[in-house]
Amino acid sequence: MSTSLDQDANQPTIYQIRVAGHLNPQWTDRFGGMSITLLAEGDTLLTGPVLDQAALYGLLKQMRNLGLPLLSINRIEQS
Amino acid sequence: MRDRMVLPVLTDATGLNHFRTLALYNGAMPAPILTTKLFVPPPRQRIVARPRLIERLDEGFSSGRKLTLVSAPAGFGKSALLSEWNEHIRLTAAQADKNKNRKVKDIPQIVWLALDQADNDLVRFLSYLIAALQRIAPNIGAGALAALQSPQPPPTEALLVALLNEIAAIPHRFVLVLDDYHVIEAKPIDDALAFLLENMPPQMHLVIATREDPDLALARLRARGQLVELRAADLRFTRTEAADFFNRVMGLDLSANDIAALETRTEGWIAGLQLAALAIQGHLAQDAHERRDVAGFIKAFAGSHRFVLDYLVGEVLERRPEEERRFLLQTSVLDRLCGPLCDAVTEQENGRETLETFEHNNLFVVPLDDQRRWYRYHHLFAEVLQARLMEKQPDQVRQLHQRAGAWYERNGLASDAIHHALAATDFERAADLIELQVRPMYYSGMEATWAGWVKQLPDEIVRVRPLLNVYYAMSLLPGDAAESGRRLSQAEYLLNLPAQALEQSQAQVTKASVANQKELQSVPGIIAIARAYCAGILGDESGIAKQARQALDVLPETDHWWRGAAAALLGIAYWNSGDLEAAHQTMTDAVRSLHLGGGLVFSISAKYLLADIRLAQGHLHDAKRICDQALELVAEQDEPAPQGTADLHVVLSEVYLEQNEPDLARQHLETYKELGPYAALVEPRHRWCCAMARLQEASGEPERALELLDEAERQYVGGPVLQIQPIPELRARVWLRQGRLNDALEWARGRTLAVSGEPGYAREFEYLTLVRILIAQSGNEQRKQSLDTAKAFLARLLQAAQDKTLLKSRIEIHILNALANHAQGNLPAAFASLESALTLAEAEGYVRIFTGEGPAMAELLRKLQTRETTQTVHGYIHRLLSAFDPSLSRARSSDSSALIEPLSERELAVLVLLRTELSGPEMARELFVSLNTLRTHIKNIYNKLDVNNRRAAVRRAEELGLL
Repeated sequence: MSTSLDQDANQPTIYQIRVAGHLNPQWTDRFGGMSITLLAEGDTLLTGPVLDQAALYGLLKQMRNLGLPLLSINRIEQS
Repeated sequence: MRDRMVLPVLTDATGLNHFRTLALYNGAMPAPILTTKLFVPPPRQRIVARPRLIERLDEGFSSGRKLTLVSAPAGFGKSALLSEWNEHIRLTAAQADKNKNRKVKDIPQIVWLALDQADNDLVRFLSYLIAALQRIAPNIGAGALAALQSPQPPPTEALLVALLNEIAAIPHRFVLVLDDYHVIEAKPIDDALAFLLENMPPQMHLVIATREDPDLALARLRARGQLVELRAADLRFTRTEAADFFNRVMGLDLSANDIAALETRTEGWIAGLQLAALAIQGHLAQDAHERRDVAGFIKAFAGSHRFVLDYLVGEVLERRPEEERRFLLQTSVLDRLCGPLCDAVTEQENGRETLETFEHNNLFVVPLDDQRRWYRYHHLFAEVLQARLMEKQPDQVRQLHQRAGAWYERNGLASDAIHHALAATDFERAADLIELQVRPMYYSGMEATWAGWVKQLPDEIVRVRPLLNVYYAMSLLPGDAAESGRRLSQAEYLLNLPAQALEQSQAQVTKASVANQKELQSVPGIIAIARAYCAGILGDESGIAKQARQALDVLPETDHWWRGAAAALLGIAYWNSGDLEAAHQTMTDAVRSLHLGGGLVFSISAKYLLADIRLAQGHLHDAKRICDQALELVAEQDEPAPQGTADLHVVLSEVYLEQNEPDLARQHLETYKELGPYAALVEPRHRWCCAMARLQEASGEPERALELLDEAERQYVGGPVLQIQPIPELRARVWLRQGRLNDALEWARGRTLAVSGEPGYAREFEYLTLVRILIAQSGNEQRKQSLDTAKAFLARLLQAAQDKTLLKSRIEIHILNALANHAQGNLPAAFASLESALTLAEAEGYVRIFTGEGPAMAELLRKLQTRETTQTVHGYIHRLLSAFDPSLSRARSSDSSALIEPLSERELAVLVLLRTELSGPEMARELFVSLNTLRTHIKNIYNKLDVNNRRAAVRRAEELGLL
């Protein structure tokens, strides 16, 4: 397992971002093609490959611009 | 827009041999200031009054804290609150005015700056900041604004210090609001703002509205009690405010339970509550009598998990007419909206009316001016609209951007046109537009923005366009010389393609425009100039000259901008190689080209270099003439003194000190300071200290002179122009004149001053300093032979200087030779050398070069005086000898009825008119100058005649026979 934040250039990291509220599917495009999963308890999971840290911050900024309440961010380790 | 030009000057602050293309600029803003960004948004007609928040804003201001931070996510009513505060202040001021309340002074004025993405360019940010401040202090920062666009912008900190001083002079307190600060990602802007905040005078209070906390050492401000914060928890609507909003403001008459449900569901998020109100209005409009529908909506909304924004915008849109919905989606691609632009994008004709209806219905448009012309959508609303557009009509997006781009292009707003062409992925079109903007953007110092556009183009588009390659290469210097070189080679490759192939590869360019065609002719020359810069970065002096010469060979005669740049580069290269006559010729050409291209502002730093070359050559009169002429041109224009003006005064000061006019020398050094940081070039800024040091030493203050030399060392930034009088050498010479031989020897020990070495021009000053040490050492019996060494040295230096027409060097060499011979007791040889020196020096009025050598020189001159010499030299010797005694020379100048500083021709013309009955404006008309220029002339005349009114000036002028 790598602890480095710099992933293999050919292997974008998968991130999972949890926000409060159910999002419309229309935002998929805006969030760089991340898939949208609606959770029963009323939150949304955005899951998908993120190129690097800069892209991740860009994504978070998009969410900030919508006033989306951010609940958690996780990096999904790939086997 | 007037022409602008680029001069390759001289340095950035990082050190030696860093060349940069820097834009010189003459007065007009590159991109017009969008006044919509400075407009304080008016409060809506009906609002929820928020006295608790207004009170905290008032308190933050009146308690003298520095910063109010309004930090909360989108849609929490940050801008609306500040706009309400502005209105509150306006009303309070009006009331106080009516009551003649003395405390009206405590009521601030608010200036506003709405930031956007493009403001991440420091030049642009500061330009807008100053434009905002000019709303309350019309002339503030005029110099800073010009300096920002100048060839060597002063360090940001110096600029801010000057601006802060101007702010401190504003007679009343004010508030600067920076709205949407979260768009700022550029560290230099955070740093500039932190500096501003740290040093802010008490007149000013800063308010920052942002979606994320700025990087401004908030913890420290908090700890010092200098910060007021309004955050999401403060801004969200309380239940009472929500009730007031729904029932009074929106007139919806909801029950307490409904309001509680909405408030809970949105958690007081104002944008959510506003959308909910619009959705409810929509329901009511559909069936005004069916209240159950409203209750049903609230229940459904409260029970839903959907993101509030998605849910409610959907609700609102569904209830708008189809036509309006289409309008909203189509125009969502626009950052700003006005009727004609919307018409172009929607291909309808009711844009203006539609926008006004939206404003009237509170439908999430924000007016950007008070003429009902420009609007924008509320950011959150626009976000949702854009996402919907992408989902529903992805194919249309491109076309919408194309229409918007075409409209902006027709209306002459190039950077918006480029923005939309890029967004439309219409890259060929964008590339055409970017090519057309290259000169305006470069001239105005916005090359970073221009290069940013090029970076958004796909490589296959850039690769086939010589123009994009060459200017992009230029923008990469001095940082990335390797990539820059690759781009230059690519541009060259394209130009060398057989004509037919070139035509194919750039069909687009050839079709594009006449302007681009013309621009293409300059490309080979610009390539050479860029290579000259690269050579400069590598320290390859001969490479600079070779490339600059090549550039002059191939550049079109009409491209004054680049011809001037190339000539200035070549002039500097000649200077560094010690060929000062060639440097003088070439720099004269540079001045002419730069002046032709852009007038005074463009040519003045080259004029300074030219005057400095003449000074280094020893042609004092010519150096003075160049400075005087340039300063007269500066006085005749109405703009602030351009950068380089102050440096001319340093040259003048050195000339006057050399001619033994210490008072005039001091005056010009004072003028340098009075002109302020914007009028001075960065690179030669240490020169002021060096000149002041010489003046102090001449006035018998050698210790003060040494301090000034230390200061000069601290200010020294280096640059491509050779430092002909290095500071350590200047210091060693002061020590020698103080008799501190050991200190001077310590300096010499660190040097490899081999007598056998080839004394190039670059080290001449160093060698002449060493010669002085050798002469000083000869007082010691064991060191008698050092004089022979010195003389051998001088003979070789003279040989080198003979070749190079270096008048000043030759005078100094002859003087030292005379002193060495005198010390050896060889009087005939001493006299011969001294006479050579006097013959060369007399016409230029040299004094200090002799008197600076102290008693030994005085003794030698007295001995020479007793011998038979020609009458002229005799008079000159007499003048020199009397200059050794400062009291004598002071008496002379005060007795003299002649003017210390003669009137210029222009001033004489004004003087003639002063004798008439004409009024100021009439005189100005007579002379075809502005009233300001006339006043400057009159002020100068009064100063020179030492009078303070018109009648006295006429009387004094008559006494002096000037009239």
